[in-house]
Amino acid sequence: MSFIPGQPVTAVVQRIEIQKLRDGDNLILGFSIGGGIDQDASQNPFSEDKSDKGIYVTRVSKGGPAEVAGLRIGDKIMQVNGWDMTMVTHDQARKRLTKKKEDVVRLLITRKSLEEVVRQSMMQH
Amino acid sequence: MYHYDSGTKDVQNRQTDKTMNKKAKFGFDSGQQSQSKKSKKNHGSTQSTQSQKADVKVRAAGKDAYSPGPERSSESTHTMQKRAQEEAKSTHSDCNSSQQHLMKTSSAEDEKGEVDLYRGEEEIEQELHEKHQSKSVAVGETQSSVSAAEDIQTYSEREWKGNTTKSQLIRKGYEAIASEFNICRVRGDNYCALRATLFQVLSQSNQLPAWLHDSDIIKWPKEIHSDKDFIKEWQFPFESRKSTVQHLEQCLDLLKKKWQEAVQCKSLEDRERMCQEVFRGHDEEYELLEALKFLMLRTAIQLHSDMEKGSDVPEFCWLLFARDSSKCPRTFLNNHLRHVGFSGGLEQVEMCLLGHSLQQTFRVVRLYKCDTEEFITYYPNDHREDRPPPLCLITEDDRHYNALVPKKPSKFDERGRPKWNQPSDGQSNITTRL
Repeated sequence: MSFIPGQPVTAVVQRIEIQKLRDGDNLILGFSIGGGIDQDASQNPFSEDKSDKGIYVTRVSKGGPAEVAGLRIGDKIMQVNGWDMTMVTHDQARKRLTKKKEDVVRLLITRKSLEEVVRQSMMQH
Repeated sequence: MYHYDSGTKDVQNRQTDKTMNKKAKFGFDSGQQSQSKKSKKNHGSTQSTQSQKADVKVRAAGKDAYSPGPERSSESTHTMQKRAQEEAKSTHSDCNSSQQHLMKTSSAEDEKGEVDLYRGEEEIEQELHEKHQSKSVAVGETQSSVSAAEDIQTYSEREWKGNTTKSQLIRKGYEAIASEFNICRVRGDNYCALRATLFQVLSQSNQLPAWLHDSDIIKWPKEIHSDKDFIKEWQFPFESRKSTVQHLEQCLDLLKKKWQEAVQCKSLEDRERMCQEVFRGHDEEYELLEALKFLMLRTAIQLHSDMEKGSDVPEFCWLLFARDSSKCPRTFLNNHLRHVGFSGGLEQVEMCLLGHSLQQTFRVVRLYKCDTEEFITYYPNDHREDRPPPLCLITEDDRHYNALVPKKPSKFDERGRPKWNQPSDGQSNITTRL
């Protein structure tokens, strides 16, 4: 979803709170991300605007913390714990989500209508 | 998670330096140039040679002349300045950091209380020359206080030549947003944050906000005055025979009118024309800016009273009133707000107050924070969903603000042929499992 000031964003805005799962020494979130300002945005199947360099959820593990919290494939992550995610590199995004000291991440996401997301994820396969 | 600068404004210095900075009051170029001359001292930067100062000064002076349209040098009496500006730029490109300081508010300068009293003969001559030119401009032409939209990549490469760490960082920041936005340069006096805000509001608002629509805001000055007598301490950047209350009423009335006019514009051209009319550096523009300041005061009074009652207030309020110099609305007005536009600009926490007063959120690209989590910061940062889309601003140093306008991606190339999505050219496209 590209951001155009002055135009209403026709998408759902949601807050998702994910409790990280401890797996030995690791803290797992249970989803994968794609995107970033250093990435090739034209390959993103979830964005409306193919120059959208935002961070998108590309996969959600079944039964994992993210799915339980309500995160869905195709969601665009706008903020993590208050920090902006719309203008970050892929690695910066990864870092903001995987801070060892934080076992909860609060995401602000936008999501297109359910039908569209399902349709696009099916097109991928 | 707020990282505010605390105490960057030295209250004592501000009082004594007020007279010094009187010239900086008005947005006209003559005043602008004398301000930049005064603040040509160094802020801890390494450039201190006289010749560099002169060059930087010329550049700053030329930069302030925002005539509408991209061809700035045509039909402008600033042509000579611009040529000198081009020469100066190519040889002293790393002066940009001090240049930003020249453009900005003199609040930091006030703190240190230094004025460079030593000026060479060439500098004095140059100043007289520029004053003469600017006088004729001020009389003859009207200079726009907000420039037309420019491509960011071009702007960034022009302004930040050289390879210091800072230049690279700032350019990197500009590059990150260059595909999404164009930049509108805002006149760099102490009103610039308010001016950038006003510009964004008038050029991009889709509807009159509820608070403006539902209330009779013209009654507000009287209401406040009857309750708090300190409103008479207000200062305006222009002469008036009216009382403070009457003048503020006039300002608020104008704000409502102009906002309505903006949202009712039928076409993009109409809206642009209307904005150009407002941002000419005349009294009208300053009345609108003073109206914004008044709204900030009224909101501060409300929030403070809520805090005392123990009601819920946004986080920034605690910071706003935690400062020694603004423990309550009265001191906030006397030590901070009434000096905005004169000897100081807006601090970050005051940007939050401004946003909250207008029921808007700012989304600010802070270039010197590129590569950190604060590269883009929201003022206020309370994720409210009942607000219109954020107003986008950009700053290199949290002092001078410019406006960002969205770049509509063109679906056609220069020859009018439709653009197709290019196949991946080997650029990275990774996903990371978390």
